[in-house]
Amino acid sequence: MAPDLDLVGLLERRRVVVVAGAGGVGKTTVSAALALGLASRGARVAVVTIDPARRLASALGIEHLGDVPHRVDPARITQAGMPMAGTLDALQLDPRATFDRLVAREAPDEAARQKILRNRVYRHLSTAVAGAQEFMAVERLYELVDSDDYDVVVLDTPPARNALDFLDAPERMTRFVEGRGLRLLLGPRSGAGRTGWRALQAGGHMVMSVVERLTGAQLLTDLSEFLQSFDGMYQGFSDRASAVRNLLASDSTRFVVVTGPRPEPAGEAIALWRRLRDDRYSLGAVVVNRVHAEPAGGGAPPDGLAHLLAAAGAADPEGLAQRAADALSAARARAAADRHEMAALAQALGNPPTAVVPALDDDPVEVTGLARVTRELEGR
Amino acid sequence: MEQPPLIGRRLAFVLGKGGVGKTTVAAALALGMADQGQRTLLVEVAAEQRTGALFGVPPALDDPVQVRPGLFALSVDAERATQEYLTIQLKVRPLVEMMSRSRAFHQVTQAAPGLAELVTLGKIWDLATTVRDGTPVWDRLVVDAPATGHGIALLEAAGNARELAGSGPIHDQAGAIEKVIRHPQATGVVVVAAPEDLAVTEAVEAIAALRAKDLPLTCAIINRVRRSPFGAADREALVAAAGSAAAGSPERAAADAALAVANGADHDAREVEGLAQAGGLPVAVLPEVPDLSPGSGGLEVLSAALMDDPAIGGADGA
Repeated sequence: MAPDLDLVGLLERRRVVVVAGAGGVGKTTVSAALALGLASRGARVAVVTIDPARRLASALGIEHLGDVPHRVDPARITQAGMPMAGTLDALQLDPRATFDRLVAREAPDEAARQKILRNRVYRHLSTAVAGAQEFMAVERLYELVDSDDYDVVVLDTPPARNALDFLDAPERMTRFVEGRGLRLLLGPRSGAGRTGWRALQAGGHMVMSVVERLTGAQLLTDLSEFLQSFDGMYQGFSDRASAVRNLLASDSTRFVVVTGPRPEPAGEAIALWRRLRDDRYSLGAVVVNRVHAEPAGGGAPPDGLAHLLAAAGAADPEGLAQRAADALSAARARAAADRHEMAALAQALGNPPTAVVPALDDDPVEVTGLARVTRELEGR
Repeated sequence: MEQPPLIGRRLAFVLGKGGVGKTTVAAALALGMADQGQRTLLVEVAAEQRTGALFGVPPALDDPVQVRPGLFALSVDAERATQEYLTIQLKVRPLVEMMSRSRAFHQVTQAAPGLAELVTLGKIWDLATTVRDGTPVWDRLVVDAPATGHGIALLEAAGNARELAGSGPIHDQAGAIEKVIRHPQATGVVVVAAPEDLAVTEAVEAIAALRAKDLPLTCAIINRVRRSPFGAADREALVAAAGSAAAGSPERAAADAALAVANGADHDAREVEGLAQAGGLPVAVLPEVPDLSPGSGGLEVLSAALMDDPAIGGADGA
């Protein structure tokens, strides 16, 4: 473990930084702090956050953070004691807006576009289909990289039941839009599958009639119309999915795995790191966030505190000194537990590059706090 | 109409951002209800199956597992719930098997927006409304819902499905489920936060979303709130002692650790206040509990604190 790892330096000259990890470990803060550090060193940076809560907005002090990149006022950053040689834009993923743009780009004409946008299955798609949000996140990432407006794009990944979900999202979404089995079975309804296997279709009609009995005919009509609308767009989807996959797998991308010094997020971080390594993604570093530092005093008891407190005019110096000693023991125990957890993590992952961010008294909601996290990530 | 406290409602949904301790709070809530003599089922929806560890039993899948007197736990999974639903609806086993094997069926369930959530919610509704020999099988259900966004999607699933289906059995059943979910005498929704700015911000947004969707929001719960045994005079003396102690000495470290405890408690109190003000609703406060392992008594501390809260345990605190 290298405590003075300069993670920002490690990520310089990459085009994409994906920040992943369990929920509640401070992914968004780490994403924003890394973006800030890269921008400070001269890169044109965009940071994409996904969570519906406007976390990054509060961290960066931007009131209306939308789907469109918003420039963070450089004065805010220099006031926080950071040089600002580049630019920092922040945006919040709006899955609907991203998907609407995708449809606009891929639809053959205006009528087709309108038909899709009006479809009820489509209207619920971005929120309802498993992986849709993750798909939109990587799609937006690709748009930003493709625009050439940025040297590097930092992606804060969606809070998922499984932090790995977004890796499979493009393919899952493509398969869904393709809807091969479904098209065949919807058969006459969609005009597709005319040459389908007879036996399968017979069974399929039965399946469909059962589904129809349960859901009502309207849903199947909408679904069939939805798939029809996507006819001719499938290739575009499929090409985009492979482009995204190639981008994520390329050497221009680095994955950063964030965790806290607790067993649950560390377990997720270990699973995530191994999966990324096995699938040959380029690993940047592990960030252990909110680590409790070892208190001073070398573990010795604070025997002289009561004297000092008496001199300071405390009413019950002995009692107060005892309570303070208890607070110190608790702080030492916490630090020891964190060290233990970090050692286990390092061992499980074979000592990967690791950046440590100490637990701060206050959550970084202002640029000053964020700059402090950036400096920690730079190993300063 | 006077709204009952959470314990007076048959169905309680526990929502919250990942990492705030939602599963722990749901377990403590269910434990408190069971301790008050209600036959309670704790339902875990996210497939993480962490409830078992809190009670020191293996995770429950197909049948409720008793974890404490009067308290049972069950993990609900969309796929199994879909199978079960089909079995009830179709009544013909080979047909059910054919459906479950059908790739197209899986695509429809994936494509029909929110169907997985609807089936999950339907299963919860079914558990909450099942009556045997004239008595409800469960007096109380506490649902450990998926993290905020997905949790709200779960609560909305019935309303969405009713609209989307237009007609047919799903439309009718979704309507019946929606009625229970929206009824403030039957259902209560609590939002769990931790005393951190970002978690509080997200809780405030979840509260606004629940209000906008007219779901029966009951209260917020803020978890892991630190307390301090150091008063204002103590702090003054500690600051002075820290100033006179040698740098790097254990005395200096102890004074600093004590001041950090006091500052941490101040910080958390501000977060609680911020949530109560921005959320505009009662906030139940749970202390930070160092050990939640089975037998440590940690869960019992949380459950007692919850039941003492008027919005949860009732006006008389019981």
